[in-house]
Amino acid sequence: MPSKVCQNCGCSDIDVDHARGDAVCTGCGSVLEDNIIVSEVQFQESGGSSTAIGQFVSSDGPGRGLSLGSGVFSGVGKESRAHTLQNGRRQIVQLGSQLQLNQHCLDTAFNFFKMAVNSRLTRGRKSSHVIAACLYLVCRTEGTPHMLLDFSDLLQVNVYVLGKTFLILARQLCINAPAIDPCLYIPRFAHMLEFGDKTHEVSMTALRLVARMKRDWMHTGRRPSGLCGAALLVAARMHDFRRTVKEILSVVKVCEATLRKRLVEFEDTPTSQLTIDEFMRIDLEKECDPPSFINGKRKSKLQQVCLHLPCRRHCQKYSCTALGDGAEDDDHLNVDEEHFVHSLFEHLPNGVTEPDIVGEEQDPEPAMLRRCQGPDLRVLLGPLPTSASLGLKESIVECIEDDGGKAIRASTPGEAIEKMLAKKKISSKINYEVLKGLNGKGDDTRPATPQREGGDRPEETTTALSRTRPQAPLSHKRFVFYIRVGK
Amino acid sequence: MEAGSEPLPLDILITNVVCVFRVRCHLDLRHIALKGANVMYKRDEGKVVMKLRRPRVTATIWSSGKIISTGATSEDEAKIGARKCARCLQKLGFQVRFGAFRVVNVLAVCSMPFEIRLPDFTKQQRPLASYEPELHPAVNFKIKPLTASMQIFSTGSITITASNVARAAQAVEHVYPLVLASRKGT
Repeated sequence: MPSKVCQNCGCSDIDVDHARGDAVCTGCGSVLEDNIIVSEVQFQESGGSSTAIGQFVSSDGPGRGLSLGSGVFSGVGKESRAHTLQNGRRQIVQLGSQLQLNQHCLDTAFNFFKMAVNSRLTRGRKSSHVIAACLYLVCRTEGTPHMLLDFSDLLQVNVYVLGKTFLILARQLCINAPAIDPCLYIPRFAHMLEFGDKTHEVSMTALRLVARMKRDWMHTGRRPSGLCGAALLVAARMHDFRRTVKEILSVVKVCEATLRKRLVEFEDTPTSQLTIDEFMRIDLEKECDPPSFINGKRKSKLQQVCLHLPCRRHCQKYSCTALGDGAEDDDHLNVDEEHFVHSLFEHLPNGVTEPDIVGEEQDPEPAMLRRCQGPDLRVLLGPLPTSASLGLKESIVECIEDDGGKAIRASTPGEAIEKMLAKKKISSKINYEVLKGLNGKGDDTRPATPQREGGDRPEETTTALSRTRPQAPLSHKRFVFYIRVGK
Repeated sequence: MEAGSEPLPLDILITNVVCVFRVRCHLDLRHIALKGANVMYKRDEGKVVMKLRRPRVTATIWSSGKIISTGATSEDEAKIGARKCARCLQKLGFQVRFGAFRVVNVLAVCSMPFEIRLPDFTKQQRPLASYEPELHPAVNFKIKPLTASMQIFSTGSITITASNVARAAQAVEHVYPLVLASRKGT
């Protein structure tokens, strides 16, 4: 440090020599400073040209060039920490940009990561998992519509593994992630389904549906994406968009069985009975029990009924198909659906329950349910392997009623005759033209239905099957027709 | 077992009791595998699995003499099963001394007569309860002083994991008023 006055003699004349690095007093000759540190740029000669001695240092943080003991203790202490954080930041930015997260989210995620590193959560875990967990935590706190499934898709990691890491992180950092609202996902999925101008309307309808589902207790314990998928499917069909189940599945990422199950559960609720206009205006008061509760009750009732029924063998066969969800019976069900959806809508205003056409002898085709339904869902969903279990219950009830010899429910005498004949299986011997004359009713579909009910069952089914193989055009035609009927 | 403080008796069914004990001598697993009845030898993992019929218990035996027994439906049954296993080993010729018996884990199942609103419940029990519908349909609720954890489903059935049966009962009693507050009716 240059001092202008010599301590020994008080002389202010000091000679500083930068070459030797000395500061000497010219009066008394005492050396005041030795080995002066010089802040000058030095040059060295290499291969003819002279280059400056020094290193480039980046502006943020110590960086790699920190020479604080790095030659001896590399990877220990502060430098390793800086390394980890820098690496983490890089990965966060990379992953976040793939998901279109804004800068604020990325910074928050980096803060979470720093906290995680401080609490030693990265030890023994893949850093990619920890980073994904940090990003997902940010998504949850901000309320962005990103699912854990998206992260697992990008990283090709099992979603439950990521979920575990996420839960540990949230608990350690004492951050309470707000619960996922299915309403958050709807705009995102609606956008992906490309509804064009009507995206907003479809979203609003879907939001109403989801709110209704929440009140009907369908959302507890279920994946929110499954509910959204079902709501969007119905909303799309309500607004005349033909989105197939497969398209919805690819967007929402649940499996087909889940989607169908949600639709069936929604069908059970009283809301499904309303028409589209009524749904938009009215909100039903009654709240339903959760579907698992209803299923449990139904199973216990079924067991009781099965015990009391005389025709046990058939019941057991039916109950097998019902409780096993009847996935393999899809084709048969679809066939029957195609037939009876048509006839169903003729009888809609009366709200009549049609009997099960299939008698007890014909076991391969499971009993079909006919019950009064609003036009909306039956139409919108097209062929569904639905209500096998519900249909089962009613068919057993009807079996009991048949054994007791109760009256057949029908609105017109012609219908009653039809049903009775169907049940007694003598329909092939009856001339229906004569019947028609008796009734005095000129219904167009009347001759069609008896032919389907009577005659040779196997033949009918094969022809029906061959007809319904190219399902898409047929269902579209029918579907459009019924929308007009409904409205 | 019933929780007696409520007017409605709640049945807590114990489904599994896990316990550890020692036989205080080294065991030759190969000899057990060859001569023993109802055993499976897992050579890669270095253990022998012995299944008893009455009480229905599965015991995993290591060559160090440490044994884990699972599948019993009560603490007493677990002890009987453990002693039976030790007796089987004694009959095979080992100098067995039964010791250090300790119940490690108890799984119990309880069913509430009402449904539970899970999101509501989680909000009230914030740090202790964790609910991720994307991952699992139940709420994970931990009671730290009792070292008990439970899974609460929306149908009202609760699965409890605790270190012994008494604590499992205490855990149910502890959680009953909390769950009652977020039931579906109110």
